[in-house]
Amino acid sequence: MFGRRRFLTRVVPIAFWTSFIMRSLSRNAEAKTIENESYKILTTTEAETLGAWCATIVSGAGQARVARFVDESLAGDQAASLLLLRYLDASDMARFYRTGISGIEKECRHRFGMSFVRATATQRLEMVEAAIASKMQVWTNPNPNFFYFISRSDAVDVVYGTQAGFADLKIPYLPHIQPPKPW
Amino acid sequence: MSKISHDKVEVVIIGSGIAGSTMAAELGEAGFNVLVLEAGPERQLSDMISSQIWSRRLRWAGPEVLETGDLVGAANFAMGWGTGGAGLHWYANWYRLHPDDFHVKSLYGRSLDWPIGYDDLRPWYDRAQTYFGVSGDDDPNAPPGKAYPMPAIPLSKQSSAIKPGFDAEGLELTTNTLAINSVPHDGRAGCLLDGWCDAGCPIGALANPLVLQWPRARKAGVELRHNAYVARIETDTSGSIATGVVYLDQQGRENLQPADIVISACHTIWNARLLLLSSSDKHPDGLGNGSRTLGRYFTSHALTTIHGLFSQETEPHLGVSGANTLCLDGYDNKQPAKGAFGSRAWLVGQAAKPNDLLGTALAKPELYGEALDDYLRNASQHYGNMTVLCEEDSIPDNRIALDPSKRDRYGLPQAHVDNSLPHANADRSDLAKEEGLRIFKAAGATDAWAGPRNPMHMMGGTIMGDDASASVTNSFGQVHEVDNLFVAGASLFPTPGAINPTATLAALVFRTADYIRTHRSELLP
Repeated sequence: MFGRRRFLTRVVPIAFWTSFIMRSLSRNAEAKTIENESYKILTTTEAETLGAWCATIVSGAGQARVARFVDESLAGDQAASLLLLRYLDASDMARFYRTGISGIEKECRHRFGMSFVRATATQRLEMVEAAIASKMQVWTNPNPNFFYFISRSDAVDVVYGTQAGFADLKIPYLPHIQPPKPW
Repeated sequence: MSKISHDKVEVVIIGSGIAGSTMAAELGEAGFNVLVLEAGPERQLSDMISSQIWSRRLRWAGPEVLETGDLVGAANFAMGWGTGGAGLHWYANWYRLHPDDFHVKSLYGRSLDWPIGYDDLRPWYDRAQTYFGVSGDDDPNAPPGKAYPMPAIPLSKQSSAIKPGFDAEGLELTTNTLAINSVPHDGRAGCLLDGWCDAGCPIGALANPLVLQWPRARKAGVELRHNAYVARIETDTSGSIATGVVYLDQQGRENLQPADIVISACHTIWNARLLLLSSSDKHPDGLGNGSRTLGRYFTSHALTTIHGLFSQETEPHLGVSGANTLCLDGYDNKQPAKGAFGSRAWLVGQAAKPNDLLGTALAKPELYGEALDDYLRNASQHYGNMTVLCEEDSIPDNRIALDPSKRDRYGLPQAHVDNSLPHANADRSDLAKEEGLRIFKAAGATDAWAGPRNPMHMMGGTIMGDDASASVTNSFGQVHEVDNLFVAGASLFPTPGAINPTATLAALVFRTADYIRTHRSELLP
């Protein structure tokens, strides 16, 4: 089996078109998986958008079920939340995410006339780069740059911050107490 | 609705963190009948799960704090929630304030003076380091004191990579002083250096209240009541004697807890807020606010992290979350350049995992996709960091206040912290950043960059002083206008220096506990 690094550095440059098809199939499969799941706070569409957004920022975030990670924490009380957002703005975390997801959609429709999940890889990257550069055209609230920061952290959590993520990065986990589950 | 009344206790302590639990153990062992009220839930060692994701459950989950100004954002990250408070995820960096830190106003004509000096606090620092168990070697740049009970934790690969940079800059890099067992000590395990400190240390190598203070306090008969959010301190009709506290329980019911002595030890923001919330006709602006300084002189430390990648392997995931090594060389030069003011301290080689606020991924927040993946694979083996803490002047405009326009979940006015770094301190912080980048480049970092300036630690707001017209408490934390009301914690600090506050906080707790013990007959009716 290929590790993520080998996949990205060797296979992608050699057979970009193949990978594009694979990613499209994967995205469709991922969307179907999402459709089959019920969310507690986010709608299926919101979860799909958030998952696609995070997967653009961190490869593998969709498969790592980042939207589910966010949704489950939003459904509990603040004390049980596993989200990094609780450090920085815990006043209404569900509204933060829902407004941010709405901002992604609004901006994407303004720029490209389609929802984020239907946007091409290039269009998605353009959106992320606009968030980093604080150059969104119609999305203002919550601050797109801050939303990028938080959603990127969520994606990093589920992809790199688990025992499997550590192993993939070749970092010995060395726990005193094992996490009962990744999140 | 009538309040649920409880039997009177001799001492009620608000907050079970490091200040509250240490005070509870000390007074319990001195024979006082002590009750501690903790706003959060009960915690066990089994809650300290080795995961940056799961560790977030140990952090603050109380009412929101509104933060404004250019040096804000530390509150929810720094505070704890539940037994042991922030003591369950603190980094255990253990430093003494330097003699000049106590006399900044007298020496430099700015900020404030403490009502006590280093020599007054020195024996209590000695006592505290024995109690907590501190590892460290003699540091010629640190203030004098008793030798540490344990040898220092050895140099990590991160520190070894960075040290040549300090050598080139002519600065001495020393081993760090930490309230972490470098070897088995006092019935607690030695540190395994696995870098999970801020997720909690269930083996007890890091001195946390669950393994240190609470076993002693419970043995002494101290009662700990959880999910008890204290909303106000009550006084008698004269306004000069505290009679107890009112707290809200998990069901939102009001409880009246009478006490002979009340001690507020619920972290900097909440100490000030609680006194502000406890206004009455005798204290219309809040308890202890006759001087109009309650909430004022809030300070933080201006923090900048220098990040770098090195050609050699640095094992960044190993070590301690606090820092492996330390540079206090130059700390005492508070005027390093014209227009710049304040001490600075370098904390070097913090253990870093991939995720969370201090993780390697957020060291480069602009990276995404394949570039992020490539960077993380490199950083996981070759990353190094160091953080500089810079002093903030104590000024009255930086303050903790109530925002009557916003109510928290308990229906109480929201806490509002406004903190902006004075210009001379910002210049000092900029100099430190340049120094740090020079150090990393001289150390041979293949890439070196500075993170943004952020706040770390919260101090002031209920400052101590000899002059009752210019401070909230005396040097024992005894509120000027209410003799049986005390404050414990970093909110007492008139100035912050540029080092982590817990050693000083603990030294003050031991000093106050001794005062209460030796004035027992005056304080108890």
